[in-house]
Amino acid sequence: MEPIPRTHLSIVAGLLEVLEDYQGKVDVAKIADELMLELDDILPAIEAAEILGFIKVDSGDLILTEKGREYIAGNSMERKKILNQTLSRTSLFKWIIEQLKSRGNEMSKEELIALLEEEMPDVDAARMVKWIIEWGRHALLLRYDSDSQTIRLGELA
Amino acid sequence: MPLLELRNVTKSFASKTIRPFVVLEHITMAVDKGDFVCIVGPSGCGKSTLLRIICGLIPPTDGQVLYKGAEVKKVCDEMAMVFQSFALFPWLTVLENVEIGLYSKKMSKEEKRMRALKMIEMIGLKGFEEAYPRELSGGMKQRVGLARALVSEPSVLLMDEPFSSLDPLTATHLREELVDFWLNPNMAPDTVIMVTHSVEEAVYLANRVIVLSHRPGTILKEVPIDLPRPRDPRSDKLYALVDQITSLIA
Repeated sequence: MEPIPRTHLSIVAGLLEVLEDYQGKVDVAKIADELMLELDDILPAIEAAEILGFIKVDSGDLILTEKGREYIAGNSMERKKILNQTLSRTSLFKWIIEQLKSRGNEMSKEELIALLEEEMPDVDAARMVKWIIEWGRHALLLRYDSDSQTIRLGELA
Repeated sequence: MPLLELRNVTKSFASKTIRPFVVLEHITMAVDKGDFVCIVGPSGCGKSTLLRIICGLIPPTDGQVLYKGAEVKKVCDEMAMVFQSFALFPWLTVLENVEIGLYSKKMSKEEKRMRALKMIEMIGLKGFEEAYPRELSGGMKQRVGLARALVSEPSVLLMDEPFSSLDPLTATHLREELVDFWLNPNMAPDTVIMVTHSVEEAVYLANRVIVLSHRPGTILKEVPIDLPRPRDPRSDKLYALVDQITSLIA
């Protein structure tokens, strides 16, 4: 299954804003330098923006894509729809939504962790589920109630 | 008449052993509807105290704060505050934290819920209604702080270092969002007063920067920022203003 973002959305959005300020193209090292960040700090944001199709990376340059421009220009619901369309096409979210549907639209977090451990034995499933919940919420694909530790389908699933 | 006026505001804290400790002295300023004012100054110059005096959380020792011409004598519910530390209730969900912003309003539970949900959607928190603060990133926590402040549609939004505990990319994004909300005529806030230690941030955001001196805080200068929007945070004109203000403080 292809990867999903493993950093927070507002960090990705901040990266897009900086890129837009630079007319959509800038050297990675320049951004890191300007923000006084180590490359290691900024890499998860770059990776996430690339996974979402918001940027392209070309020999050290970050290039804002049309979709990335659309994302930052949109209002909060337009942005959510873009995230929704993008993430609902990933095999990971497709698989989770299928699993949820086959279980009457409800699954405990523990259950999802166990399923993932089977499906992807070489990833840290508990950490992965944390990101799945966060991005699933952003994209309105998933809901999560942490009192009962229950995952449900979101309103745009 | 300005929306908000400070006349000769002084704040000192009494002490039994030594002279009274003067934090702010002779602060006179006016804020109009639609203004975006940033207050900068060295640490310890009383910037945060000034915000608390403006909204009536603490009284000035001398002088007056006037809101629409009337003296502010208790907490003014036409103003709302956003804090550096987010100040969310950890045992309440996002939705409940936002609803707290309406606690003093005379409206039904249903009305409060409806308004909170609408604000949550406008501010990009949809999908996180049932999340607790501990499940959120710093950026999302501050969005909750902002939604709680804006849900009551205050006429003045007060912000105390709202972006300084966030990572630089998140701060960049939220600054941009704040300007969008402020420019949006269908959405609060119309008027913002922000305290920040970052001169770059102040010049990037404000219509006007008020520079305070070291303790006791007095107004050294008011610098109008006439740069067109959207602003380029890396323009020479912006840097020239940043240099001008920084040299006043240093």
